[in-house]
Amino acid sequence: MGKKKKVILPPQLPPDIPDEEIEVSEEDLDFVNKNIEYAGFLSKLDTNLINRHVTRVADYKEDELEALYEKKKKKASLKKSKEEEGLQVDRVDALPIKTLEGELCYRTVESNIAHKENGSASEVKDTDSDKGLVKLTKAQRRQKLKKSKKEAKRQAKEEVKETVAEGLHSDVLAKVEEELSAQDLFARKKIKLAEVGMALLEDPESNIKSLKELLHICIDEDHNIIKLGLMSLLAVFKDIIPGYRIRLPTEKELEMKVSKDVQKTRFYESTLLNSYKAYLLKLMAFEKDLSFHCIAVRCMCILLDAVPHFNFRENLVAAVVRNISSSDDVVRKLCCETIRSVFTNEGKHGGLVTFEAVRLIAELVKAHDCQLHPDSIEVFLSLVFDEDLGKSEPKEEKKEKISKKKKRKQRLEQSNQLLVSEGKRRKHELMTKTREELSADLKSVSFAPDSDERRRTQSEILSAVFGTYFRILKHCMNTSFQRPMMNDISSSIGLGHHPLLGPCLMGLGKFSHLIDLDFMGDLMHCLKKLAGHSDSDNDNPSVSLTVSEKLQCCIVAFRVMRNNLDALNVDLQEFYVQLYNLLLEYRPFRDRGDVLAEALKTMLWEGKQHDMQRAAAFVKRLATFALSFGSSEGMAALVTLKYLLLRNSKCRNLLENDPGGGSLSGLVVKYNADATDPHLSGALASVLWELSLLSKHYNPSISGMASSISSMASMNPLQTQAYLSTVSPLKAFEDLTIERELLKAVNRKSSFNKKGKRGSEFVIMDAEKVRSLESEMDEDVIERKFEEHFIVLRDIEENEKLRLELNKTTSALRLYEEYKQHRKLKQKRKQKKQIGG
Amino acid sequence: MLLEKVPKFSKYLESRRAELQKSESEEIDSDEDGDTNYSNGVSSNEGMRLHDRRAINSHTIDVWCWLVVEQPEGPALPNLLHTFQAACRYGFDSDESHLHEILDEKVFSKVLMFILCEADGIFRKWLGVSDSCRKDSFLKFMNTSEWKLVRPLMKSYLRSCLLLLNQVTDGQILVFILSRLRSSIVFFAAFPSLTELLIKISVHLWVTGEESLSLSSFLVVREIASMLLSDWYDTCMMKTYKAFIAHSKFFEHGNLKKVEFLMNSIVELYSLDLQRSYQHVFASLQHLANILSQTMKAKKKEELKKIHNWQYINCVSLWVKFIDCNLKDHDLQPLLSLSILIIKGIAHLFPSLRYLPLRFRCVQMLNQLSLSSGVFIPVASLVLDFLEHKGCTADATRVKAFDFSTVLKVPKHLLKSRNFQEECILSAIELLSAHFSQWRYHISFPELATIPLVLFKRFHEKLSNETLRRQVKRFIDQVEQNKEYIERKRAEISFSPNDHAAIDSFLQMEKSGSNCSFNQYYASVQQKSHSRSALR
Repeated sequence: MGKKKKVILPPQLPPDIPDEEIEVSEEDLDFVNKNIEYAGFLSKLDTNLINRHVTRVADYKEDELEALYEKKKKKASLKKSKEEEGLQVDRVDALPIKTLEGELCYRTVESNIAHKENGSASEVKDTDSDKGLVKLTKAQRRQKLKKSKKEAKRQAKEEVKETVAEGLHSDVLAKVEEELSAQDLFARKKIKLAEVGMALLEDPESNIKSLKELLHICIDEDHNIIKLGLMSLLAVFKDIIPGYRIRLPTEKELEMKVSKDVQKTRFYESTLLNSYKAYLLKLMAFEKDLSFHCIAVRCMCILLDAVPHFNFRENLVAAVVRNISSSDDVVRKLCCETIRSVFTNEGKHGGLVTFEAVRLIAELVKAHDCQLHPDSIEVFLSLVFDEDLGKSEPKEEKKEKISKKKKRKQRLEQSNQLLVSEGKRRKHELMTKTREELSADLKSVSFAPDSDERRRTQSEILSAVFGTYFRILKHCMNTSFQRPMMNDISSSIGLGHHPLLGPCLMGLGKFSHLIDLDFMGDLMHCLKKLAGHSDSDNDNPSVSLTVSEKLQCCIVAFRVMRNNLDALNVDLQEFYVQLYNLLLEYRPFRDRGDVLAEALKTMLWEGKQHDMQRAAAFVKRLATFALSFGSSEGMAALVTLKYLLLRNSKCRNLLENDPGGGSLSGLVVKYNADATDPHLSGALASVLWELSLLSKHYNPSISGMASSISSMASMNPLQTQAYLSTVSPLKAFEDLTIERELLKAVNRKSSFNKKGKRGSEFVIMDAEKVRSLESEMDEDVIERKFEEHFIVLRDIEENEKLRLELNKTTSALRLYEEYKQHRKLKQKRKQKKQIGG
Repeated sequence: MLLEKVPKFSKYLESRRAELQKSESEEIDSDEDGDTNYSNGVSSNEGMRLHDRRAINSHTIDVWCWLVVEQPEGPALPNLLHTFQAACRYGFDSDESHLHEILDEKVFSKVLMFILCEADGIFRKWLGVSDSCRKDSFLKFMNTSEWKLVRPLMKSYLRSCLLLLNQVTDGQILVFILSRLRSSIVFFAAFPSLTELLIKISVHLWVTGEESLSLSSFLVVREIASMLLSDWYDTCMMKTYKAFIAHSKFFEHGNLKKVEFLMNSIVELYSLDLQRSYQHVFASLQHLANILSQTMKAKKKEELKKIHNWQYINCVSLWVKFIDCNLKDHDLQPLLSLSILIIKGIAHLFPSLRYLPLRFRCVQMLNQLSLSSGVFIPVASLVLDFLEHKGCTADATRVKAFDFSTVLKVPKHLLKSRNFQEECILSAIELLSAHFSQWRYHISFPELATIPLVLFKRFHEKLSNETLRRQVKRFIDQVEQNKEYIERKRAEISFSPNDHAAIDSFLQMEKSGSNCSFNQYYASVQQKSHSRSALR
């Protein structure tokens, strides 16, 4: 066995140890003599390698240097470990047994193909430093590889430089050394980070102290190291933070004597808490530093997402909310996502963090005077409100109370009857009392607060949310009337004029059923004003709301009303007027068609109270609207129109040309298209002539719809139900959007069906012109042109010939010149000869 | 010469020759040969005449021509055609291997003229093919015994003609050759390779040549397509379409007419046999739609460039023209709706006012399609945006005249100019009056005009520019007048909107008469717009 090992090993050793330091044993010598060819190889390697290193170092690129350095370092540490193991041990025998064997093998292979590996090694390094997030796993791998020589390396740190310098005896290297050491330092710190982190993850209880060490690493000059450190700490904390909130022992408790285990736990918890605090402080500090801003926010977001129940969450929430309207897209998205996940995963923290976040956002909106990014309010949409909490449970409680009272009464009656069991009952009561106490204790610890508490939080959240919404609405009203200075600022930031209004209206629509009735009147007033504020009041269009926003106001108002119909009786007439006029303002490219369709749906389709005048006015306006606008908007309008006609049988009079204007024409006898109030338009006196043109519409679905509507005139009133279509305006709008239609058209097949054949006459060109072209031709002219053409061609040919001739002559002349010179030379020589002679 | 003057030189030359032999031997050889040859040539210019290379004077040509006219089957024709071939090749491959040498321009032009003018007739007479002979009947002649004799001669004639086409650069000659070739297109049925070459040459000339040359080469292509319909129609369509696409990348004032002409010719060509061209057009439109829908999904800047370039727009307008021309006689409903969709999609994709010229084109095409097909296409919403132009203030400067019709996207510096404001409003008026004039007698005209009228009135109140105000006012008045007229007429009738037949006949009488005031107004608007674009 020993023999075999020897055969494999020797070539691996020599390059690692400088000659002068090797104590050559006799066996070694023997071995070298025996395997002379190996020895030759070794010596060659030794000198070559080192020489190469020395001479090339200056030219090497950085990454190569890095790898080079790594290699040397490994060599050195290896040597060191060997020295530790004691030099008396026979090297050849000792090494293969150690775990170092693998390393050694690797080393020799590497020295042979070192240059090939350089590239890949540096690549790994680069990715390491770039992707801080995946760092840990890589570090793990690395750690496994190097675990065995970890100790040795740490001790070797100081000696590395020396040995390298010694081993290479090179001046060049000394110059590069500084750069190298920076690289080296980075790598070493990285490894250290990984090691400590791993240790912490493996056994947090015993290694908890290393947290401080990690924190210490984060105070570094190298930005990358700091980032890596922050990320490692994040990973560690995410993993070791317990599922409960740590309560530090009071002084009293500290004075009390406790068991060793408790002591240990206390120490563990306090260390964890302290380092966590330190870490958070560090993050907050870094948050203000531009270069670390992103990573600090990211860390905090991840922490908030992962451990929203833990201590210091208030600080985390505050920091995340602070950045929720950041101008940096990445940061903003991250924060919004985190807040959203906090909202949706209430189970993790019991709703308290939600409230905190909502409160902070409300404050933020207040502080910035509503000039924030829409995203920051949009997160409210992910809030989940437990509707049952507010309503059903109190009733149950009441019931319980009632039942309890009943029970008591019963019991009283019973007690009169059964005095014997008095003692037993007392015992029983005591027990229930202790039980209640216990459960109260439990509640304080667990994260499932009772419904009472939850209801309270929820109502607080709601009031904060609606408070914010109101603030935004009020702000919009004020700015649109007073033209504030803020506008310049907001438009310069690139946000709209009312950046928060959109999400605010969406939120109001979504939570309209939760709005307090006291608010309602105020809210409706606001919406009315906002929706009603038109361009004519104010010449500066940039200040007023867009059509889409106004439509949204109307929609929200209707939603709110629908959800609380019993409670309030507000006249929505004004909103109808608004919609009636907004139909004229609508522009397909500027405004959102889906909002329009939505408005048609909520206000005309689902609205319950319809008076005939208004319905007729809308019918007329929608038909006119469809004549001017694209197919998707037109279809939405027609669908609504049809629905209105179905609902209001009297309006079907519009489909017929009744010369007298009908008995229904009401106050206004003649239709006035310019009227701004649907009631005053006199639409009942009009006829829906639009349908005849619409039935010629290029889009078959619209023309079909128009025909079907115009055929409703002869409809039996009893048939209405059969005609009720299920397509809502929104659906109709989406079905006919250009994108959809195009997609359909692209996949459609078509074939040509023959109708008639045309002769060979011209379709579009002027046949006269063609004929004149023929007659234009003059043969004499052509003949002359041909002659000219020939002459030109012949001239070219002649020219070419002449040029050829010229070339030849010049070359002949040149030859003659040469000849003359030649002769002169000869003559001179002759003369010289003569003179000499 | 040198040799004679300096006798010693020859000696030197001899001595040098040994050295130079390797490198320059050939040169020197040819040198001397050339010398002698040339001197020979000059001295014996008249005397020397190679026997195997007959030089031809005009007299021989005359004789041959006479002989050929008398007796086409005789040996004169091959001689003449050989001379013709030599003439066609003259100057560009002077290996002088052919039999006949042409000595002066008279001979050259006489041969060419005679063959080009008469060859078609001679061949027809020989084979007994009539002028109106089509491909099928011509192919029958190919089985006759004469064909064997004629075939090589005919091939030589046609090939020489093509050679000449490649050689000559003068437009008039090209037109002449092309027009001569056009009469004997049917002969090409026998020579597919020559046909392909001819298509290639004439498509090239069609795209690049100036007006009459372009026209005559297109006529050749069209003749090929109609004569040899079954074999070459598809090739012709593909080649012309491709050449058009390649040529329509740029659109300037200079080549406006040219692109127009190219479009017309393609429409002409594709209209020859709709049975076969229909699939081409449909596939092309679907391709355009596909690009558009992909762009709509991505909405990136590079993607958008695929749409707002002349190539794309010209293709769309080409097919619109095609549909416009053929809609009357054929059922092109799928093409119509597809192209409307594409145009609407383009307008949808570029909502910004900067793309006003593009939008203008789109609406124009929609109006055109609507007019030819009789379907209703609402364009008002596409046009009303033009009134929203807010960038212009009272102190807006007037820049020098700018032709908006040659761009698709208005340059930034013009956005705030007065020209642009005018352009916006006048385009809106022009497009809307085209739209209105189409439906001016329709029973629902008042409703059609309602929304635009309301907006125009509102716009009119705010407008400060006096000249523009007047034009807007005139537009409003005209529309109102027509609206009132229709309303008056409408009050007299008793039918309901669901009576389609009655509606269709409503005011049909008036429609045929042209002295409607709105029509006159529209004509004046059109005239103004023409004169505006002519001013630039």
